[in-house]
Amino acid sequence: MALSTPGQVLRETYSAESAKIQQHFDSTGDGRGVTEQRAALVDRIAVDLFCHFFPHESKPASKLSLVALGGYGRRELFPFSDVDLLFLCADSSTEDRVKSAAREFCQALWDMRMRVSPSTRSLSECTKFHSQNPEFNISLLDCRFLSGDERLSAELHDHVLPTVVFRNRAALRENLAELTRQRHAKYGETVFHLEPNLKNSPGGLRDFHTACWLERISELAGEKQFPPNPGRTSPKLNAEAERAFDFLAAARCLVHFRQGRDDNALTYELQSVAANLGLAVRPDTPMPPADWMRCYFRHARVIFMLATQLLDDAVPEKSSLSDRLGEWKARFSNSPFTVSGGRLSVREPASLKDAEQLLSLYEVVARDGLRLSRETEREVEAALPALANDGAAIPGLWAHFQQILVAPHATDALRAMHAQGVLVRLFPEFAAIDSLVIRDFYHHYTVDAHSFITIENLQNLRGKTSEWEKKFADLLSELEQPELLFLALLFHDVGKGMAQDDHIEGSLQAVDEIFPRLGLDATESGTVRYLIANHLEMSANLLRRDIFDTQTIRNFAEKVGTPERLKLLCLFTYADIRAVNPEALTPWKAESLWQLYVSTENYLNRSLDEERVHANRDGREWVERIIPLVSTDANRHDLREFLEGLPRRYLLAHSPQEVARHFEMSRRLETSAVELHLESHGHIYELTVLTADRPQLFAGISGTIAAWGMNIWKAEAFANSGGVIVDTFHFTDPYRTLELNPTEMDRFKGSITDVLCGTVSLESLMRGRKNLRGPALPKVPVSTQIRFDDFCSAHSTLMEIATQDHPGLLYQITSVLAQYGCNLEVALIDTEGQRAIDVFYLTLDGAKLGANHQRKLRDLLLAQL
Amino acid sequence: MTKIEAIIQPSRFESVKEALLEIGIAGMTVLEVRGHGRQKGHTETYRGREYEVDLLPKIKIEMVLPDKLVDMTVQTILKSAKTGKIGDGKIFLSKVDEAIRIRNDERGEHAL
Repeated sequence: MALSTPGQVLRETYSAESAKIQQHFDSTGDGRGVTEQRAALVDRIAVDLFCHFFPHESKPASKLSLVALGGYGRRELFPFSDVDLLFLCADSSTEDRVKSAAREFCQALWDMRMRVSPSTRSLSECTKFHSQNPEFNISLLDCRFLSGDERLSAELHDHVLPTVVFRNRAALRENLAELTRQRHAKYGETVFHLEPNLKNSPGGLRDFHTACWLERISELAGEKQFPPNPGRTSPKLNAEAERAFDFLAAARCLVHFRQGRDDNALTYELQSVAANLGLAVRPDTPMPPADWMRCYFRHARVIFMLATQLLDDAVPEKSSLSDRLGEWKARFSNSPFTVSGGRLSVREPASLKDAEQLLSLYEVVARDGLRLSRETEREVEAALPALANDGAAIPGLWAHFQQILVAPHATDALRAMHAQGVLVRLFPEFAAIDSLVIRDFYHHYTVDAHSFITIENLQNLRGKTSEWEKKFADLLSELEQPELLFLALLFHDVGKGMAQDDHIEGSLQAVDEIFPRLGLDATESGTVRYLIANHLEMSANLLRRDIFDTQTIRNFAEKVGTPERLKLLCLFTYADIRAVNPEALTPWKAESLWQLYVSTENYLNRSLDEERVHANRDGREWVERIIPLVSTDANRHDLREFLEGLPRRYLLAHSPQEVARHFEMSRRLETSAVELHLESHGHIYELTVLTADRPQLFAGISGTIAAWGMNIWKAEAFANSGGVIVDTFHFTDPYRTLELNPTEMDRFKGSITDVLCGTVSLESLMRGRKNLRGPALPKVPVSTQIRFDDFCSAHSTLMEIATQDHPGLLYQITSVLAQYGCNLEVALIDTEGQRAIDVFYLTLDGAKLGANHQRKLRDLLLAQL
Repeated sequence: MTKIEAIIQPSRFESVKEALLEIGIAGMTVLEVRGHGRQKGHTETYRGREYEVDLLPKIKIEMVLPDKLVDMTVQTILKSAKTGKIGDGKIFLSKVDEAIRIRNDERGEHAL
């Protein structure tokens, strides 16, 4: 039955009213209002058409109901969204009878340019749970009577649905969880997209609806009936989520109206349009698109967190074995925290007002990768006002925070801290980059997300299998203080949210405020500052300079100064580039980065002998920095004498306080033959020896250390122009001799002095040690490589030896060198797992070793090793 | 129509790109490549281990232009990419039979 003139009237009415709705939106930006008005308009049209096409069925008890489903059922109809309709029939004979009219009804709506999604079901079909059609099950949750047999519709709404939902609540929740998790995975589990899909992206409208459906399922399963005035959303959803919905609704209406179809992509162009209108933020006040998108990401994050929290509560992801073990342990431990269903909770919520307890909670998150329960998240948010606004009053803030930074799941903890407002509470500086957008196609993430991803990139190096990733993973494992690198990564871009043009200056300003609150010493804060100040240096060299050119390497090496800083900067660069977007760090770039690192490291090691301190020239600045730290009777002249001729690396590798101490030790050499300083850093001991240079010195020290059963893993040997050596040894004490017997430290130092002064022979000490060769079958066999280089120094020969590490190795090597008559100008000793990598600058009779001597020395060393 | 393929030093890419923009050439395809000519490579040592660096990183720029723009473009690339050292790279020219714009099926030089 085709529409006659009344149908034409309906079409014109629909068209005119739709135009009015669009005008209303253009003047108010009220997205929620538009969806309600459009739903009301379609109600009128649909009811009128129903009366036209189903004249008999429009009456009560007609066995046919017209029911709105989905968004239309929620009275939330976007300008070009589908109109979901259900022809609900009392029985199958009614279904057959109304089929033709239903088709014509839908055709009439199509002719009005409405996209209809109709379905026809009998009431008995609705009593079944359709496991293959989860979308239909879920759409019924929003059903709303429009016209026809109201009792039939009420039967569905008041009896059938609550029963179906109650019986199948677990399956419904699992369906919803599965659909949502698939959708999130498709969009990369992140809200941060350059051109997000307002409906389907994580944090989009579909996530909001998911939250509403989960609450609705809980209500129906609990009460076995719909709430009296359900509205479109559950009252349990918080005001923040409702505001987020309003924002997204406005954005989606804008996109629909501008595109003239059901398109949900918030393109760059549409972002600019929305920003120009101040849409849903400051109506009619243009704002920069990046600022408007910042608002979008904040709202999307609220919705995403709400949806995932409700999903995880309703359908927890399957617990891992460690979670179950955690539960078991937690039940029997006296920890303040418990684990249940893979979620972390606090036994005494009031304890979260204690800042250290709060930080301990996140330490557990960082260590074990557990997520907080929803309850605990609320408890944390409630405890926040008790936390000082800048972390100033928290004792041990750095002690806790660095544990979080170096833990395997650091970014889980940092994201959680950020989401609950804890991070900004401790570090208000971080607020500057909250959801801050860098609006270009290269940067995929907001600045705060980028900062977290940099840390995540390094944490994820563990377990990587590609060749170039393993190289960076090895570097990471060698770092002396990785927490400083992670701290620098966290704050390196906060300057982008500050007023300065140069974001590096802004970031430095921010961390200068943070350092005193953390209690970092000058050396630690100097390292973090250095990294932030120079974090673009390596990538600039990579992209704009010839990394195979010696001058490029020299210039870069001068800026870096020490191998430790080079490692830190290399890893920083790796993490930073990789966090711009998933494709930014190509294997090409990674290999080039590695090449630059290797070339620079080699240069730093091979230029030691050339790069010396000239105290009256480039050393003046150092003299001025160190003189305030020495005793009042010391003078600049003496200090210059001490520094003169030391490798520049010595000054970069030691803090001014350490240099001052070494200088004081050198002054005491007037009355004592040997000066020693021994301290422990955890399980590593650091021994510094100052004495007059003489043959067999290095062999004597390393031999004594080995004779005491210690294992040297790092050492440096420098000498100044005055013939005073400054040797530093880092060693471990595998038998815990010094740890368990503190008085042995003095005896150990005495031993070294005795050997160096010749009062005790090294051989007599060595006789007591039987295990200097180490295990017969090393776990990772390392073949011995010896290389000589006569070109990197003007007056000495560089010898680089890599071999199997074992206790006493350094003594063996240096004994051979000493017996051959070599003088050790500079030594750099390092260990990488089972591999010892030792670099020596050698002279023989005051000159370089010739090829002949190099050959003989190689043979002697190979025979010894 | 002529296709220009230029293999250059990565450190010269920004200069080449800016120089091409200045003469009105805005469309190009850029690839990160590795290779060598006479420059060959070298053996690098790192911590006692030796490894060959035989394929060196380069940037390859490709563009298809009307014939009348080719000479000027080649000269611009030569001028901005040159350092005078071995490893500066090479430029290759080849004829293109057809070009088609996917969006609207435009063909020939109009599609460039």
